Amino acid sequence: MTSTETTPIRESPVQTGDVLLSIKNLHACVEGNEILRGVSLRVRAGEIHALMGRNGSGKSTLSKVIAGHPAYTVTAGSIHYRGRDLLALSPEDRARSGVFLGFQYPVEIPGVSNLEFLRVSCNARRQHRGQEELDTFAFEDHVRETMAIVQMDPAFLERSVNEGFSGGEKKRNEVLQMALLEPLVAILDETDSGLDIDALRIVANGVKKLALPTTATLLITHYQRLLDAITPDFVHVMAEGRILRTGGKDLAMALEQRGYDWMDEETDGADRSDTPQP
Amino acid sequence: MSTATQSPPWLETLLQVLAQRSGHSVPQRASAPDWRWPTRRSEAWRFTDLRCLTQLDPTRLHTRTASPPWPDVLRQGSSRHVALQLDGRGHWRDPQGEPPPWPHGLMPLPSEEITPGQVAHTVIPSGTLPLGAQLNGATPGPSLGLQVSGPAPVHLALAIQVEQAQTWLAPHVLLVVEPGARLCLTWHVAATAQAAVLPMVEVQLGAGARLEEAAMAWGCPGAAFLGNSFVHQSPRSVYRRINVTWGWGLSRDEPFIRQSQGQAETHLHGLAVARGQSLLDTHSTVSFGGPAGQLRHQHQALADDRGHSVFNGRVVVPRLAQQTDASQLSRNLLLSTRARIDTKPQLEIVADNVQCTHGATVSCLQDDELFYLQSRGIGREQASRLLQRGFCEEILQRLPKAVLAWPSLQRLLEIPVPDQP
Repeated sequence: MTSTETTPIRESPVQTGDVLLSIKNLHACVEGNEILRGVSLRVRAGEIHALMGRNGSGKSTLSKVIAGHPAYTVTAGSIHYRGRDLLALSPEDRARSGVFLGFQYPVEIPGVSNLEFLRVSCNARRQHRGQEELDTFAFEDHVRETMAIVQMDPAFLERSVNEGFSGGEKKRNEVLQMALLEPLVAILDETDSGLDIDALRIVANGVKKLALPTTATLLITHYQRLLDAITPDFVHVMAEGRILRTGGKDLAMALEQRGYDWMDEETDGADRSDTPQP
Repeated sequence: MSTATQSPPWLETLLQVLAQRSGHSVPQRASAPDWRWPTRRSEAWRFTDLRCLTQLDPTRLHTRTASPPWPDVLRQGSSRHVALQLDGRGHWRDPQGEPPPWPHGLMPLPSEEITPGQVAHTVIPSGTLPLGAQLNGATPGPSLGLQVSGPAPVHLALAIQVEQAQTWLAPHVLLVVEPGARLCLTWHVAATAQAAVLPMVEVQLGAGARLEEAAMAWGCPGAAFLGNSFVHQSPRSVYRRINVTWGWGLSRDEPFIRQSQGQAETHLHGLAVARGQSLLDTHSTVSFGGPAGQLRHQHQALADDRGHSVFNGRVVVPRLAQQTDASQLSRNLLLSTRARIDTKPQLEIVADNVQCTHGATVSCLQDDELFYLQSRGIGREQASRLLQRGFCEEILQRLPKAVLAWPSLQRLLEIPVPDQP
């Protein structure tokens, strides 16, 4: 799908509690293998959701389907973003409309200046929001101020996108992009993986600063430690391509202490239909 | 050129015209070459279609040049810098059209010390010069011979601008860089009309001398470029060459470098952008005549539309060249189903105690990279352009600022070359 076939969703003011993202019975496959098997989830402005689950449970697939990765095919179900069909939009129009995916493995792009990439991205979003585009000088001032959120060295602006960055630097760069794009829905796919204690604190603080009453955050994580820094309103556990259970922060703590096996035992033989969504 | 054929009528006519202009019955400048016309049955020429060259009418050829659009930073000479442009009579003048004031460390060689082919024949032991050099030698005209001396770097900027159809330019340049001397050489060659540019450059690098050469050559669909350079490196010398080519109907770039006794450094970086129906061919040869020589060679090509890129990188490491450290990488981006890449790193290694690597990759734009950019709001088309530009930047970022100042570089990065009419 190209950008000429879609129109980004016009941005109107958001109130706390507005439904931003509504996923219903989502099925998706890649190369003929069904990965998502009926995901339903509703996310409102002001909420922070954590999505947990074993490797291969479908968490990252869900994030990529929301962002519009072309390798994944949606076979059933729907995703609505602020009431509009998100699946009808190209990846770039989803991003311009305010959906952000922080990558688990940010891509290295040799030769493309990080500064130029950030400027083009930021201006694409600004243009969509009816804001004036920033010229080179204005953007450089803006990005240098914004980098303080993740305590990132401005020297990284001069390098190619993510090239030669450490794991922590890549994740900081992701949060920097999130800060510049000011999304309404931010999905952070294992942003905490590969971070040392200090880097985790910096990244988590950055995400917290960017979580506003008018935005929503979906954190995909394996670890309680991120949720110690960012308190989620809801914790969802995925298994076999669907959300198996939803709870509060206590659910994450229980997983940290007991692993996933106890949940398997509890659900064995039980009705595996979705837990009611918030 | 064992499978070459006898001269075609076009060549016969051309040689007669060139001979008449030189006032000799036999074309002069180089010694009379063994004229055999290459065909596509020859391995070295099997991808190279010479029609773009032979479409020129030998009887209408002329040598008129235009004034290049010099960037301000290069236009003015100084005590360490001189800018020269080729005029219609084959002389090199400064941008004001005057004989140049030579900077310290650079002085013209007496004409009696210039013998075209004097370096080339030490670099190519077989003695048979490639077609471009043969045609250069057959073309009458003065040579530019310069001697570089002293440890302080001297900057020489050369420019050739072709704007009229049927232009035939075959400049010959000889550079003698004395031991320990340093030369920064930049080239800007541009052709906007059906024409042929056939430069031949010979360089003698003394012990410990350094030459940093950056060349930008761009043409239009009807223009042909056949460039030959022959570099003879003495021990401890350093030769760096960055070459960027695009737009020509036909470009055949053939650098020959010989480290006569090894123990020298050679760094080659090339970028060829073949769009439209452009055929860009690079055939390089680096040979080591002694031990402990170093080579770093990276050639990148981008082919789109019906563009065709050819790379043949020959590295010769004989038994006496022990402890040679050579690497060669050919990276290619293939953007269209009708575009074509032919690449052949060719390492000929006899020595057993060496470190030599080579590699070649051909790929299209990576889906993951495109998606990453799209996920940041960048449209697919713009993302594609950014990635293409990024691919080029890996070589372009090595260009000195003086070369980046040429406005034509923007044509490479932003404006696609149109199809051949």
